[in-house]
Amino acid sequence: MKEKRSPGNVSYSSISGRGNNKAIIEVVMNIIFFICGILAVVSVAVISLYMIFSGGPAIFKIGITDFLFGSVWNPDDSQFGILPMILASIIATVIAVLIALPIGVLVAVFLSHIAPKKLASIVRPMVDLLAGIPSVVYGLLGAILIVPMIFKIQEALSMPTSGCLLSAIIVLVIMILPTIINVSETALRAVPKSYYEASTGLGGSQIQGIFKVVVPAAKSGIVAGMVLGTGRAIGETMAVMMVAGNAVIFPELLKPVRLLTVSIPFEWAYSSGLHREALFGIGLVLFVFIMIINFAINRILKGGKEKS
Amino acid sequence: MKRILAVLLAGIMAMSMAACTDGGTSSGAGTEDESQTTGTTLNGTVKTGGSTSVEKVMTALIYKFQENNPDAVINYEMNGSGDGIEGVSSGKYEIGHSSRDLKDEEKAEGLTGTAYAIDGIALVVNKENAVKNLTQQQVKDIYTGKITNWKDVGGADAPITVVVRESGSGTRSAFGEIVGIEDSELVSGATECKDTGAVQTTVSGNANAIGYMSFSDMDTSKVNPLQYEGVDISTETLKDSSYKLQRSFLLVTKEGAELSATAQAFIDFIMSSEGQQLVTDNNLIPVA
Repeated sequence: MKEKRSPGNVSYSSISGRGNNKAIIEVVMNIIFFICGILAVVSVAVISLYMIFSGGPAIFKIGITDFLFGSVWNPDDSQFGILPMILASIIATVIAVLIALPIGVLVAVFLSHIAPKKLASIVRPMVDLLAGIPSVVYGLLGAILIVPMIFKIQEALSMPTSGCLLSAIIVLVIMILPTIINVSETALRAVPKSYYEASTGLGGSQIQGIFKVVVPAAKSGIVAGMVLGTGRAIGETMAVMMVAGNAVIFPELLKPVRLLTVSIPFEWAYSSGLHREALFGIGLVLFVFIMIINFAINRILKGGKEKS
Repeated sequence: MKRILAVLLAGIMAMSMAACTDGGTSSGAGTEDESQTTGTTLNGTVKTGGSTSVEKVMTALIYKFQENNPDAVINYEMNGSGDGIEGVSSGKYEIGHSSRDLKDEEKAEGLTGTAYAIDGIALVVNKENAVKNLTQQQVKDIYTGKITNWKDVGGADAPITVVVRESGSGTRSAFGEIVGIEDSELVSGATECKDTGAVQTTVSGNANAIGYMSFSDMDTSKVNPLQYEGVDISTETLKDSSYKLQRSFLLVTKEGAELSATAQAFIDFIMSSEGQQLVTDNNLIPVA
């Protein structure tokens, strides 16, 4: 009980004679702060335990290898293999990040070093706005604009027209761009001006200064933005569900795919018994993915600090 | 400080318990048991549960019945037809809701199903599609991947986009049973939709798509219904059973088990003209 010995409490005992109200307020506030402080910890603990207890048994009933590496998802026949969904999630996320990263970094460089102040002050709020748009809106736009365009490609290749991996990737790219831009821009701005000045002072051009000096110096921040974007992409559900076609097959660019997250809201309503438990199992797998990503980002940020 | 800790711990425990116990999906159609009182008014709680497909009409029926009998409470847990049927046999429910017919082994357990409404499953295609009619065999071949181009069934030369409902859906299993498609033979890579509305949206936005959906929710300004075996889908063809893609909504009860007065009254109400009017109001075909 450390708070008893804190300076605030010491002063309360010295004026306790006439400061009863003050003392009560001190104690009450201490309790409120303590509760607020512990709320996040308790939430994480409760969620973790709940996911493990509700998702774990199903995974063992199905068998870890059958669950994680089974290729058929057919709950009506008690087949619960989620490998196609894991692969779809990973492939969609990786490709989306690979596309979004260069675009995002270039936008960040533009905003932090190249754009005139006025232009930057117009573009930056737009990027922030992009970050704040609810994902279902991206899904709607994807379904109305992107999917019909992809129909044309599929028609040209005489394939059945449907939502597919490509449309999911395009939507994800747009969704994670703001994250990558914002974090990268902050990192680029944090690089001391003297680095860039030294580079130009030695006769380097603007572009050389940015790409040979400033961007490498901001590397850890850019990587952090990339990992955050990855986290957002892998957890995205609603937008992807509306454009991906949602068939559980091994991912191909122009064929429908089901991402891991989508299965949970998709099949929740009618599921029962082991099927429902398996959905919890999927939640647990996602949970592990996100934990790995968070762990990675913590390491990256810490590593960056140690260097500087 | 000890007291503070105790209060905190109690709070945490309460929170975690609240988080852990809230697992069910009871619809909250009623409140707690009122326990028996004498008199002629109906009272007490009737536990029912099962299909989610019947939700709209069943909620309306329960609402009206409870309005007529303020002391009676009908619970309705939505866990799917399978749960509804199993629940009656295990005694969890007095009445089960099913949107598919009972299997023979379920009938052998002494369960009976009373149909109170008929819902048609409409085969729908895009407005631009020239195909008007499919036979049972053609539908089966399309959904199992033997036919992959519309020209093979009298349409344009374009690959067919097969649209299905997600696994677990009552419409999906009813469709599979009637047409004769096992889940394992379903064409791989079919676009899946989460609900009836999503099927309609997908088909209306995709010139080459075919899907199936509940007749009661179909909007002919968005999609074209197909003839099945040469029969149009309509209230009349569903009523006289000439349109074969149809299913009944059943009230499942156990033979021999005596129903409470309230449960019996609820079933009587559903079959009454007032109840059947609600069935019609919800775009379903009444049986009486």
